[in-house]
Amino acid sequence: MSSPAITDCGCPPPAAAPLTIKNFRSELKPIWCPGCGDYGVVTALYRALVNIGRPPHEVAFISGIGCSSRIPGYTTAYGFNTVHGRALPVAQGIKMANPDLLVLVAGGDGDGFSIGGGHVPHAIRRNLDLTYIVMDNHIYGLTKGQLSPTTPRGAKTPSSSHGSMEQPVNPLLYVLAYGAGFVAQGIPADMDGLTKMIEAAIRYPGFSFVNIQSPCVTFGDPNDQMKVQKAKMRKLAEMGHDPTNRLHAMDLAQAYGTELYTGIFYQNPNPPPTYDSQIRERQAALQATAPAA
Amino acid sequence: MLNDMIIGMAGSGGDGIVSAGDALISASAREGYYAMLTKSFGSQIRGGESSCRLRVATTPVLNPGGTLDVAVVLNWEDFLRFGGELPVGPDTVVLYEKKTGIEPAAIPLEVKPAIVLAVPMSELAMKSAGTLQAKNNVVLGLLAGWFGLAREAILEGIRRKFSKKGAEILQGNERAYAAGLEYADQHPLARDFRLSPPVARGGKRRVVDGNEICAEAALFAGCKFFGGYPITPATEIMQHLQKDIWKHGGSLLQAEDEIAGIAAVVGASFAGKKAMTATSGPGFSLKSEVIGLASITELPLVCVNVQRGGPSTGLPTKTEQADLFAAVFSAHGDTVRPVLAPIGVRDVFGVTVEAFNIAEQYQTPVIVLSDQEIAQRKDIIDPVDTADFKIVDRVKPTPEELAQGYNRFKFTDSGISPLSHPGMPGGSYLAAGIEHNEHGDPTSSGEMHERMNDKRLNKLNPLKQRRDLFILEGDPSAPLGVISWGGMAGATLEAVRTAQARGLPVKLLIPKLIYPIAEEVYRDFFASLQHCLVVEQSHQGQLYRIIRMWVDVPRGFTSLARSGANPISPDAIVRRIAAMAENTPATPSTTSR
Repeated sequence: MSSPAITDCGCPPPAAAPLTIKNFRSELKPIWCPGCGDYGVVTALYRALVNIGRPPHEVAFISGIGCSSRIPGYTTAYGFNTVHGRALPVAQGIKMANPDLLVLVAGGDGDGFSIGGGHVPHAIRRNLDLTYIVMDNHIYGLTKGQLSPTTPRGAKTPSSSHGSMEQPVNPLLYVLAYGAGFVAQGIPADMDGLTKMIEAAIRYPGFSFVNIQSPCVTFGDPNDQMKVQKAKMRKLAEMGHDPTNRLHAMDLAQAYGTELYTGIFYQNPNPPPTYDSQIRERQAALQATAPAA
Repeated sequence: MLNDMIIGMAGSGGDGIVSAGDALISASAREGYYAMLTKSFGSQIRGGESSCRLRVATTPVLNPGGTLDVAVVLNWEDFLRFGGELPVGPDTVVLYEKKTGIEPAAIPLEVKPAIVLAVPMSELAMKSAGTLQAKNNVVLGLLAGWFGLAREAILEGIRRKFSKKGAEILQGNERAYAAGLEYADQHPLARDFRLSPPVARGGKRRVVDGNEICAEAALFAGCKFFGGYPITPATEIMQHLQKDIWKHGGSLLQAEDEIAGIAAVVGASFAGKKAMTATSGPGFSLKSEVIGLASITELPLVCVNVQRGGPSTGLPTKTEQADLFAAVFSAHGDTVRPVLAPIGVRDVFGVTVEAFNIAEQYQTPVIVLSDQEIAQRKDIIDPVDTADFKIVDRVKPTPEELAQGYNRFKFTDSGISPLSHPGMPGGSYLAAGIEHNEHGDPTSSGEMHERMNDKRLNKLNPLKQRRDLFILEGDPSAPLGVISWGGMAGATLEAVRTAQARGLPVKLLIPKLIYPIAEEVYRDFFASLQHCLVVEQSHQGQLYRIIRMWVDVPRGFTSLARSGANPISPDAIVRRIAAMAENTPATPSTTSR
């Protein structure tokens, strides 16, 4: 690895020649529909990465399957668009194999909370230093509009023409209950807020989770689009929420699906050791006692 | 005196039968014998029936053998549960626990062996050591006394094992061993059944099982990451690796499930490290989608499948060779994944190293088909000379190539494109399960898909020329042929040598590269044949069928195939070879299935 002086959070001081968004934007044209919230997400991500200052080749960006999972291809990072629901385990293998990398994981709500839902608690409790961004649009967009795990009860979709009979999952409450050390929610309409929380998530030394309510312009609920979101948004920072108060964060998270809170719900003020730091320690300790042949 | 002896023992979980087997093989190694120890259990977690068979000889042992020379029965009910795994014949010496109360003439066996001895094993244990726990050492004494097995080395083993447990326990077990010896000396057998002395002392020979040596080979090959999930009978590979992989600068993940295990392996490989997973049938089924991902992203990885009886949960503790179809045809789409199979415990080393080398050289997932018997069998092996093995690493792009603009999936003559990894400046690319062009950009072009399929499939063609991955024995012009693979190869090799010694014109082919099918190797083998037999442990005869998919076979191409947990003995194979020689199939029901 070429980066010297890596700080505690794995982020080096800014590079000599400052990076710009151009350094992170690839030549691939997104497949997303015009007006899709994911355009805002990728822009916020470019900005956050510029602020972080690690060069693109030191970033590994892993996703699953879905509209939003195309996102690594729109960056100049080392991208890996894996199979449905398995972005987190692939990303953990990458981070374990090379803890020096900045590892980002992204996907949709179906990828993360339905087919890949079993991996989320384990990624959280294992606590590798990676950032998981979910673009939560409450629908399966790539397959044209079926129920997703976060679709509200009663919603009529091509797979529920009589209305959904299921309670949606609450991603924020899930990850808080699993013990995530950093939990935030943003919307693409609030570009500055989203950029800052992604940056803070990357800087958090451990597993960090950002839920982005990224509306589906084609199959989504007309009442859940960017303009509506912008009007509905309530910034946690302005509400006086203390992000080190986990119970209060869980209380606020209960309102997922009714209120639209944005900002950092929870950030552990005393981050526990990461799995990757423990790997380095174990390797060093065992290599010191008995060097490999 | 005998040069080769097969001892089978069975009892309840607490009888210490398996640890007696361990003691015998360790002692045999020190004494200078070769041996093979297989264990078999019911699937209970503790207790239940357990058994082991030890084949010990003055020359290297090729397979666990067929009919027992010596049967040790601590309890008839347990013994009989193992059926064909512990076959007794008319010449078997049967020793059984007198406490069972059965008269020698009334033992519950279909055959009536000439020598049947009721031995007061429990009584000897109680009298000598004051505890039934010492019964297995009484058994060891009996075996050492009657069959001339490693008398001193067994005693040394008992001393090592019990020295930490206090003088009282140590002396009790020593007395139990002496009581067994004494009983044998006082009751000589009607015939001399003693094993010949070893040719030479054991030297650097060691006792090891297939899973342990697989882990050693992986580290030797440069494995830096293991991801897996506990599953019988593959778990020991992970358990061995987790001790030492850190020292080699690697890491290991016991994942939340089988899919996560192999997904993390794909991730580690993408990150530039050699990586491996190990599983058994049910886990292998779960992993297949991610194996497909590794195929299309052209990422090297090794997936060991320690086969057990299937389908589904099947026979978790028993061996089978029925995952060959699953390995060859795992995951959807047009892909070829190399499948390798070791023929024995020692061979696991070389095949595992080869699997890493092929994976790295050709940028492909490689499947190693081990099986429960090889994985959990203990063999006395001569040391592996690691100087015999080269290590292959993936080809990476040069700085010049990176400066020119990197195309991860560049079309090349070999079909192999230099592979970068995160951290390498200028090497960034998109790996994706979706079809892509040379640069890695997603595409849905049929033309590009065809070209990429050509690349991914054709790059493996040179493997088919790897004749070193095949064992050939016998006169090349012989009219009779036998093919076998994996765990059945040892019994087949022994059978073919026996048949050759009897003058039967037979030759043998054992592929370690099971797939892709090396058409030319088979065509050359078939050229002289009128009849050919494929020996394997699966109901359908899976290799037999796969060969027929790719190669024109001789007219008399037949299958000797049985489901797992039903060993095929060398004798049974010899009979089929003899039947081929007479141009008469042995039993119509098992031919040309």
